[in-house]
Amino acid sequence: MIAIAQQKERPAIEISDLHKSYGNVQAVKGITMNIAHGEIFGFLGPNGAGKTTTIRCMLDLIRPTAGNVRILGYDAQRERQQVHRQIGYLPGDVRLPGDMTGKQVISYFADLQGLEPVRLKELVARFDVELKGLLKSYSKGMRQKIGIVLAFMCNPALLILDEPTSGLDPLMQKTFNEFLLEERARGKTIFMSSHIMSDVEKVCQRVAVIRNGQLVAVEAVEALREKAGQRVTVEFGDPVATEELARIPGIRNVTCADGTYHFTISGSMDALIKALSRHEVRRLLAEEAPLEEVFLKFYEEQPAKLAPELSR
Amino acid sequence: MVTPSVPSTLPPLPAPKKRRRGVPIAIRALINAKMLLGAGVFYALFVALVVGLLYPTMTKLNLDAYLTSTGVASLVGAKLTHASSFAAIIGLELYGAFYGLIFGSIIGYIAGAALPATIENGTLDLALARPISRTRYYSELWLSALFASVLTSLATMFAVWLSTLVVKNAQIDWTWLTITQLIEFAFFVFAVGVGLLFGSCMNSSRGAGGAAVGIIFLGYVMNALGSLTNKLNWLLKIEPYYYTPGVQALVQHNFTYWHPWVLVGVGLLCALCGMIIFNRRDLPMA
Repeated sequence: MIAIAQQKERPAIEISDLHKSYGNVQAVKGITMNIAHGEIFGFLGPNGAGKTTTIRCMLDLIRPTAGNVRILGYDAQRERQQVHRQIGYLPGDVRLPGDMTGKQVISYFADLQGLEPVRLKELVARFDVELKGLLKSYSKGMRQKIGIVLAFMCNPALLILDEPTSGLDPLMQKTFNEFLLEERARGKTIFMSSHIMSDVEKVCQRVAVIRNGQLVAVEAVEALREKAGQRVTVEFGDPVATEELARIPGIRNVTCADGTYHFTISGSMDALIKALSRHEVRRLLAEEAPLEEVFLKFYEEQPAKLAPELSR
Repeated sequence: MVTPSVPSTLPPLPAPKKRRRGVPIAIRALINAKMLLGAGVFYALFVALVVGLLYPTMTKLNLDAYLTSTGVASLVGAKLTHASSFAAIIGLELYGAFYGLIFGSIIGYIAGAALPATIENGTLDLALARPISRTRYYSELWLSALFASVLTSLATMFAVWLSTLVVKNAQIDWTWLTITQLIEFAFFVFAVGVGLLFGSCMNSSRGAGGAAVGIIFLGYVMNALGSLTNKLNWLLKIEPYYYTPGVQALVQHNFTYWHPWVLVGVGLLCALCGMIIFNRRDLPMA
């Protein structure tokens, strides 16, 4: 009991100064981050950034050149068995033997887990999974759904998901996102890498952005939303100088087309509202700016300064 | 942005019951090898039955001088003083160097391909993300290859028994046939070890299986060349067929007892080296 309590006190995942090199190529260059219990954590980055390498180090499929990974209080390399008893894993590209049926492959991996697949019926019904046919006849989406079933069927405490919605249709992506939120409500910890930023935005509390093997940001999604600000469109009835709008605190990217102004505003809108009240406003539209822009900025910028981690 | 509405807390689900594990990896590997194993069993039955059917004709042809010649000895890896009995004929046709070459290649290929095949079909990542150690994973593959060797050995003995049904006065000594089969099994242990060693460090099933077959074929060539002249005798000492005196055991009822243990030792050593390599290496993605 004491050991379990101690494990709960530590972060669910602790990655300390993780390095991984392949010869002269440094795939991961000193990643440090902590993921709390009961958190859905998004891991973002362009192709070849080091996401999958990090995940494979976490699973002990590859060995770090330096650094340390602890999962649920256990060393991911030295105590891998204890770690793997409590985790579910979904690889980025779910490949399964074509000569097995869905049912056979589930039975095989349940045998390897040494646990009964208690959630099998629920998952099969929810994700509409085909179990009878040979896997070689399955579409990519159906294989992905089998992968999801394999990851969740034994009710693990922590899930490591590499591009989980890859190959799923939009309806199934929505179902999966709802499912993830339910899992979080049940107290599960979820670490997921993704390219689909809107999915990350919907389900994750925090995200890390990795580029060229280095973390360029670890931020709460709410903080990113603050950074992204709001997109505002204003149509004036009288002439307004662009400079007047650009001077308002928090406003950036001011553009004008046919008397309609578009700009982004971060923080309080009070100064903007007061400035607009001096003019005739025919139309005003404000909406949350998509996080894609913020993420893409992280992808593009040089990582001169790493964003401080928001520790819990 | 529309966020799905989900309650902030939900009751946890009951913990799953434990499930008896067995040896699922070994069983899966055997299923993967079924085609090759089937081919091996078919070949054993085919050779034994053909020898059984042709034996009466062969005795009439009096091939003793030919079968005991140095040329044939270099081909089959056994020098006999007489070769007219059914045991001698079946020994030369089935248990000579060809046995190691054909069945050893099948077993070596099965063992070599077993591990890389799971890299190729994507199951290795998923399996090792479960509470299965690499040592256990490797050991189960080893077990499956040894079990395939046992199946091949039993099928061969069954084939010989079938052939004795069509031969009058076959006069097979079953104790020595069993010893012969055990000697050949030692060759299989060697082939399994070589196969696993290649499989542990290669990512292609065909590459690793092919490399194991290559070693077994190279051994056969060394055996054939080494038997031709005394100057090349040293070649015999460093290849596996020299340590597989199956035919001598079956026909002359004697053999150097420690020879098969050399094969077992080398096979175990190769397999252990493979296990160390597999435990230390980074696993590639499918």
